[in-house]
Amino acid sequence: MFAYYFTLGLRSLRRNPALTALMIVTLAVGVAASMATLTVLYVMSGDPIPEKSDRLFVPRVDTAPLVGYAAGDEPSDQLNYTDATNLLRSGQGVRRTAVYGVGNAIETGRADLPPFLAQGVAPTRDFFAMFNVPFLYGGPWDVATETAKSNVIVLNRELSEKLFGKTNPVGKRITMDSEQWQIVGVIDKWNPLPRYYRLINGNGGNFSGADEYFIPFQTAVRHEFSNNGNNNCTGEGPKEPGYQGWIASECDWIQFWFEGKSASDQARIKEFLAAYVTDQKKLGRFPRPINVRLENVMEWMKHLGVVGADTKLSTWLAFGFLLVCLVNTVGLLLAKFSARAGEVGVRRALGATRGNIFQQFLIEATVIGLVGGLLGLILSFGGLWLISMQSEEMAIVAKMDWAMLALTLALSIFASILAGLLPTWRACQVTPALQLKTQ
Amino acid sequence: MLKMTNLSKVYRTHMIETHALRGFDIHVKEGEFVAVTGPSGSGKTTFLNIAGLLEEFSGGEFLLDGVNVKGMDDNARSKLRNEKLGFIFQGFNLIPDLNLFDNVDVPLRYRGFNAADRKIRIEDALGRVGLASRAKHFPAELSGGQQQRVAIARALAGSPKLLLADEPTGNLDTQMARGVMELLEEINSQGTTILMVTHDPELAARAQRNVHIIDGQVSDLLRETNASLAAVAATV
Repeated sequence: MFAYYFTLGLRSLRRNPALTALMIVTLAVGVAASMATLTVLYVMSGDPIPEKSDRLFVPRVDTAPLVGYAAGDEPSDQLNYTDATNLLRSGQGVRRTAVYGVGNAIETGRADLPPFLAQGVAPTRDFFAMFNVPFLYGGPWDVATETAKSNVIVLNRELSEKLFGKTNPVGKRITMDSEQWQIVGVIDKWNPLPRYYRLINGNGGNFSGADEYFIPFQTAVRHEFSNNGNNNCTGEGPKEPGYQGWIASECDWIQFWFEGKSASDQARIKEFLAAYVTDQKKLGRFPRPINVRLENVMEWMKHLGVVGADTKLSTWLAFGFLLVCLVNTVGLLLAKFSARAGEVGVRRALGATRGNIFQQFLIEATVIGLVGGLLGLILSFGGLWLISMQSEEMAIVAKMDWAMLALTLALSIFASILAGLLPTWRACQVTPALQLKTQ
Repeated sequence: MLKMTNLSKVYRTHMIETHALRGFDIHVKEGEFVAVTGPSGSGKTTFLNIAGLLEEFSGGEFLLDGVNVKGMDDNARSKLRNEKLGFIFQGFNLIPDLNLFDNVDVPLRYRGFNAADRKIRIEDALGRVGLASRAKHFPAELSGGQQQRVAIARALAGSPKLLLADEPTGNLDTQMARGVMELLEEINSQGTTILMVTHDPELAARAQRNVHIIDGQVSDLLRETNASLAAVAATV
């Protein structure tokens, strides 16, 4: 009977075409507004690494001086070099990485490709496994290379293709910062949204931009590459001049990640951090009371306010608008279905049960929802296009994936069923005897 | 076929009680063609609605083809209605956006016949009313008489045992009315029981038996009596 009712629903679209069109457009506009804003919220607040987001942790410790201390102060979002290297050696979790931004000139020696500045990051080799970075060629550098602080480099696909075309460049060398660097790997397309692994001053924004190359953390420090990102000094700043003075200071500039074996490691590593601070206090560091944080990926994104309050508000407003559209649709459906009381009477007289009538009219409402959903989908794309015109970052997040596409249709059908419940129930209450006489 | 004993129907509002039928007795045998007549407000339509299981009754007994319908739930009544009864209305009551084929298809869908069975039954029913060639037409493209024929085809398609007709010629001119009446007589001669409500004494006279309802009660007259009265009237 579903096919029969569905066909009747399709035919019924032609009946009262103006009323039907109004319903479809009302539903479509409501759905489009909701889905366009929800898509942005979904991309912004989505879990970029769902398989392990609950066991990747960012540590934060409060190294600031006692002066200006107020209870409840948040520790800094980054670590200084001393703590970063101590935590790298701590053995906590199954993997650890420190990350900081670097930018260097790459000299190609080619007339057709003059030297250019490339943006990269300096992590440890654990970085690639921690964040499930896919490799096109080769792989991360090995432990020996990392320990030896050798000049090795992993390129991203775009930089590799810019320098070597579509060939495998692993084993070749490039000149960067006037030194030779051996290519050990090329990563494939990797654009986690948001770019959770480096939310503070990534090369680009939280959603746009890409890191073009990766070199070992200690190699970058050996070369005294300065941080291409946010440097934060509370208190006195470096006591000694130069790079060595910088890395010995309490200024923070390094982002740090632990990978736990499971989500339960969060409490354990946090305890370790507190113990670590207690130890360091004996060395005259950490003048403030112990104040440590360990956040997993979603907590970290929430802490940094990756999703703006205005995005959340506009999503709420859009769903409020959908509710208004739904109420309108209920009214229009009531009008459409009440004009069909005669048909209900005839069908009941010919053997339809109330259940049959309920199914028929609800499926008819569903058909309206389906058509409204398809139109809503087109309007959603229009809405997303408008949103993407606002900024480059918005252009990246205002994109619909298959899940959102399916959700748009589902939302529209669900909304139409919801709107159809009252009118359908009313249609079922028709007294056939009365209708048959008055027709 | 249809037996009502001491049937009553009371409409209640918080102010008034209206007795539409009281002490209503009728027995329609299988194969009969019974005309129900009576002045407006006498209870004809209420009787037909109860006979058609479209309305519940307040008291008494009602057996439809041997089935006691008292206390039946809505689903069971719908099923019984679909299997045993066919309806013909004064206003034809065809569904305007369905073509003739699909209109006749409606009761068969609820019966659960498969597509092949439905097709055979629809074509046969439309053939019986002489409209087989117009199956793809819509009701608005037909005359009133033709529309009533489609309604008859729809009523016949499910092979009902009892055909309930409420003023079937009320909206038709004399010639069309005659055609429809002849069709009903033909259907009756093939074995279908017909219960017809009419205001038209001429049509009523063509039925085998007349049931006259006054103030919600039956006064049964034999067709023969009716015919002899007509003959007496003619000689006066």
